[in-house]
Amino acid sequence: MGDVVTLFRDYMGVGLIVLWFLLALLYLFLKEKRRHLRILFVWVPVILLLVFFNPLFARLVFRMADGEIYYRILWLLPMTTVIAWAATEIYGSLRGRGRFVFAGAAAVMLMVSGSFIYANPFFQRAQNPYHIPQSVVDICDAIRVEGREVRAVFPAEMLQYVRQYDGTVCMPYGREVIVERWNVLNELYFLMEAEEVDAVRLAELARERVCHYIILSGEKRMAGSLTDCSFEVFGQIDGYTIYRDSTADLSLPAAGQGGEL
Amino acid sequence: MIALRVLQLILWLFVIPAGAGSLFFLGKESPGNGFAGPGRAVFAWVGGQILLWAVFQLLCVPVILRQGNYSLVQRLYLAAVAVLLCSAGLAALARRKKPRLRLVEGFGKGDRASVILWVIFWALLLFQIVQAIRLTYADGDDAFYVAVSTITADADTMYSKLPYTGETTWLDVRHGLAPFPIWITFLSKMSGFKPVSIAHLVVSPVLIAMAYGVFYLTGRKINGRHSEKLPLFLVFVEILVLFGDYSYYTVENFMLARSRQGKAALGSIIIPALFFLLLQLLEYLKEKKKIPPAYWGLLAAAMTAGALCSTMGAMLCCMLVGIGTFCAAVGFRRWKILFPAAFCCLPCAAYALLYLRMG
Repeated sequence: MGDVVTLFRDYMGVGLIVLWFLLALLYLFLKEKRRHLRILFVWVPVILLLVFFNPLFARLVFRMADGEIYYRILWLLPMTTVIAWAATEIYGSLRGRGRFVFAGAAAVMLMVSGSFIYANPFFQRAQNPYHIPQSVVDICDAIRVEGREVRAVFPAEMLQYVRQYDGTVCMPYGREVIVERWNVLNELYFLMEAEEVDAVRLAELARERVCHYIILSGEKRMAGSLTDCSFEVFGQIDGYTIYRDSTADLSLPAAGQGGEL
Repeated sequence: MIALRVLQLILWLFVIPAGAGSLFFLGKESPGNGFAGPGRAVFAWVGGQILLWAVFQLLCVPVILRQGNYSLVQRLYLAAVAVLLCSAGLAALARRKKPRLRLVEGFGKGDRASVILWVIFWALLLFQIVQAIRLTYADGDDAFYVAVSTITADADTMYSKLPYTGETTWLDVRHGLAPFPIWITFLSKMSGFKPVSIAHLVVSPVLIAMAYGVFYLTGRKINGRHSEKLPLFLVFVEILVLFGDYSYYTVENFMLARSRQGKAALGSIIIPALFFLLLQLLEYLKEKKKIPPAYWGLLAAAMTAGALCSTMGAMLCCMLVGIGTFCAAVGFRRWKILFPAAFCCLPCAAYALLYLRMG
């Protein structure tokens, strides 16, 4: 039960919009006379809330599916429709200038109660039509080999974008290593993200994982040199250095054998 | 060349769905018949896309489970769309009615307040569409869903490679039961644009517009057509969506920030569409009208489309329709509606069972 309450609290944020929703439900319960609308937008949400907080139902869903997504049951609450409709009904019940004052005040109240989505720092101006960093596009275009897959070690900030752009560029680890709660440990990743990269160990591990390329930020400090470990500088793009394993075979596979790693 | 590709997208995202949706206007009591003017166009577009998503789901999942190639899904889907469009075309010929394509509601009809509210609504909608194109939202889940679309386009295989790394793996049944990313691959293949562009640049704004289409239809049912209450309702909806980032989990956050993901389509299009359809069911009951088979077809399609969007969609859709129809049956003493409603839940129940057994 505690998990469910926590999920509800997390969903509510500061809770003002949910408060408006509950008040809107109460208003419609008292004022709305049309039976079919009362059934759908008053009774159904109330039953859904009871189901959400039902510990037996919660236990069942937690057992069958990922408990983290239990909050999505709250998506079934028609919060937006109910609040907007109740506000519209109040507007309709007023006469003269009062209705415009109410509409303006309600709009401001809703804005203040919520949080403007485009103020979210995760929103950024897109650099290209792919909506991923241009450096990822440039590096993938540089290392890809037509007709086969290649594998490259990328720094953490690029992991979530590489395979959105190009499915033929494979990686020894991906986004799973940067999500802390998944607890995926990867020595190669830790090596790449260390303050000072051990070049010899990095080359060894990358080769072990059949990586044709290593991409490192130009600002990364390195103990030793990758070029001493048979990795050559393939290019420098957008502040990143691309190292290529000079011992790796990147020729096209024979006909009929496919280009998979 | 680019113009041709854009034209393909317009065809697959607007024209073909609207054509398929015209099937819901057949017969005297069909679900779309209560709408005229722009409402008719919006109903055809949204209803048609929901129908096409359901067809895609029904064709794609069996191919995924049999570990078939994407190309087979594409061939089957194209054939199914051709059949749907031919049926719609023949039906339209039989009716001999010209389609009405008035898309802008309200101007010149209402009083000044109504016109101002419609202008605000369209301006805010345009703002959100421009932002969806101009801005990018860094969401880690894209590394999975968009990568699945890209891999499918590149390798012609579905859910047999790890999206994060590219390594070959066992069939990922859990995600394969909700193949919304494969639909994005389909749009990519049809248009020639990369899946990553389709997902971020094309699908996002279109689905945002479609979500407002559903709110428009619901608003018209609640507020009537000519009243200024309809545009006011829509403006309030827009404000609630735009200021809906009060937590990371809200459906409004998914709608504007992660619109290319199936779960966003579930929360912002399918679930509101189910509310709209339940409202329509309650209207039939209130007016003591016979419920047409096309209505149940559309309800079943919406639920199946919910399963396409997210594996949890199957459960959520069944919950909502179950509770909604039960309340309707109790409220109007029409117990018989529970049988066709249960029938509509069958595809979702089947996907849920598959998830429990194989996922």
